[in-house]
Amino acid sequence: MSKRTQRKSMGYIKKDYIRTRTMPGSWYLSSYRFKFNITHFKPFQDKLKERKLVGLQCSSCNRVFFPPRLICGKCFVKPDRWVDLRETGRVATFTITYLKDLETGEVSERPVVLVQQDGSDTTYTAQLSPDVDYKDTYIGMPVKVHWAEEPTGGLMDIQFYDLVEDNSKDLELRKD
Amino acid sequence: MGRQVCIASAGFSEHASKRSDVNMPELVSEAIEDCLKKVPSVSVNDIDAFVNGNMPAFEGSNIPELWMTDWMGARNKPLMRITTGGTTGGSVAIGGYYTVTAELPGIDTVLAIAFEQQSQGDTSTGLASVAYGEISVLNTLGISYEQLTQLLSAGAAIGVASYQATNYMRRSKITEEDLARVVVQNRHNAANTWWAHLKMPDLTIADVLETPYISYPLRYGMVCPASDGACAMLFTTEEKAKDLCDIPVYVNGVGSVANESGVLGYNGSGAGQLDTSEQLGAMKSAELAFGQAGISFPRKEIDYAEVYSPFPNQELMWIERLGLFEENTASEMYETGVTALNGELPINCSGGVNSTNAIGASAMERPAVAALQIMGKASNQVPKTVHTAIGHGWGGIINLITMMVMSNKPTRKIK
Repeated sequence: MSKRTQRKSMGYIKKDYIRTRTMPGSWYLSSYRFKFNITHFKPFQDKLKERKLVGLQCSSCNRVFFPPRLICGKCFVKPDRWVDLRETGRVATFTITYLKDLETGEVSERPVVLVQQDGSDTTYTAQLSPDVDYKDTYIGMPVKVHWAEEPTGGLMDIQFYDLVEDNSKDLELRKD
Repeated sequence: MGRQVCIASAGFSEHASKRSDVNMPELVSEAIEDCLKKVPSVSVNDIDAFVNGNMPAFEGSNIPELWMTDWMGARNKPLMRITTGGTTGGSVAIGGYYTVTAELPGIDTVLAIAFEQQSQGDTSTGLASVAYGEISVLNTLGISYEQLTQLLSAGAAIGVASYQATNYMRRSKITEEDLARVVVQNRHNAANTWWAHLKMPDLTIADVLETPYISYPLRYGMVCPASDGACAMLFTTEEKAKDLCDIPVYVNGVGSVANESGVLGYNGSGAGQLDTSEQLGAMKSAELAFGQAGISFPRKEIDYAEVYSPFPNQELMWIERLGLFEENTASEMYETGVTALNGELPINCSGGVNSTNAIGASAMERPAVAALQIMGKASNQVPKTVHTAIGHGWGGIINLITMMVMSNKPTRKIK
């Protein structure tokens, strides 16, 4: 590389144009059409209507996906075995959201949790019962499904999770 | 297999929340100018190929490199574009490394550029455009938009990190004070870095803990800003680098690993990572990069680390997962000053992503700062001599990790 070809500085930019002009533009996200495979979800939704929970098990690594997934990331195979799950689960992790009411200006604290359903190997986002105080949430909290009054076969048939009384002795340890 | 690659220089544009004095190409040009200023014998004509990347959704202008070529000096030259979400910068840097190591005829010097002008767009629209497919699926499955807002107000980048923070805090038994301590160190370091965004030399732990929660356990004072900025890195061959600069920085190992997504699954399914602070992907990428670089004891052999940590809990977590400290000891290291500027193993002396976050550029600023620390040209230079350093990046739903191991001597195992 030669030292002759010294680069000219582009310092003139700031001298000539001190500010830029802003022009508005918009991007309509709702005009896109997304594809979603429903074949693996149908049996799951049918069972939800009967107030039953099922997970899809990978025949290679025996992991259970709840809600079902089309492909197992570990084994690169299609999970194909349906297994029944219990209604109980554990809080895998949680966070607390602070939503401001636009009219009153009051901030309401709500815990949002990731629940691991007993018998499954995945987590998914859910809400806790409104009776649960956000300060009482902890990781490992035992919870139970609270069904919607009329299940329609959607994910919201599990309206929220109720707290289960846990009488085990290590509860105090877990709360740490 | 592949020739040895060196970093000859790295440069930054000034970062701020709104760079209204420049548009996107001018911002990029600023970083290139700073990069080439450090190697006076290189002109734009000497650069053989370009690698470019950003996260287009955040600015709303797709394929920005089309009208940026003149400002990069890329006319009539090979140009490649890489976008991988949060790790874009890391992937662009790795792309630059691969382009040189591939021994393509006539391609010796490669300029890698990563940038983001977030003030041009809306970050929440950008993130929504990424997750819109998933959101529509959840909506079809019976979750109304009202309920989705409640669930996803904890979503986006902060939501994902706060789930991870809760997990990590339980695992390592740290308090919010420990998180605030990390923030204070970062913001103090940023005050000494000319291009950093949030410079707060007088910040105290109490100040951070006074700010309201954004999403438990993260407070407003703890999260990263949204910046405008760009970063450029010059990759070249070993022979040329020796002519160009005093201390050429050898790239000895790179790793780029994808893991199963955390928190959100795919098409409404469950998420595969049970504990998002476990980070098998980070361990794997560290293993890959250290293996290539011939590093067996990262804790002893690495002198400086730049990790991608928009949130303080992640900084503690990554340095443990990348093998720099024993598990659950990271917060002690911040307390005792091991990770400070004059400590044994300084971490993020540029202020890190916690103080400056131009998303597309952030993951590249990490290896760039690490390389400058080895050269002794960094803005906030550590007093001790740095021989080996790492630059790390994460992206996606905490499932994409990039790593780059650099040193002042060639130790790469693959020849």
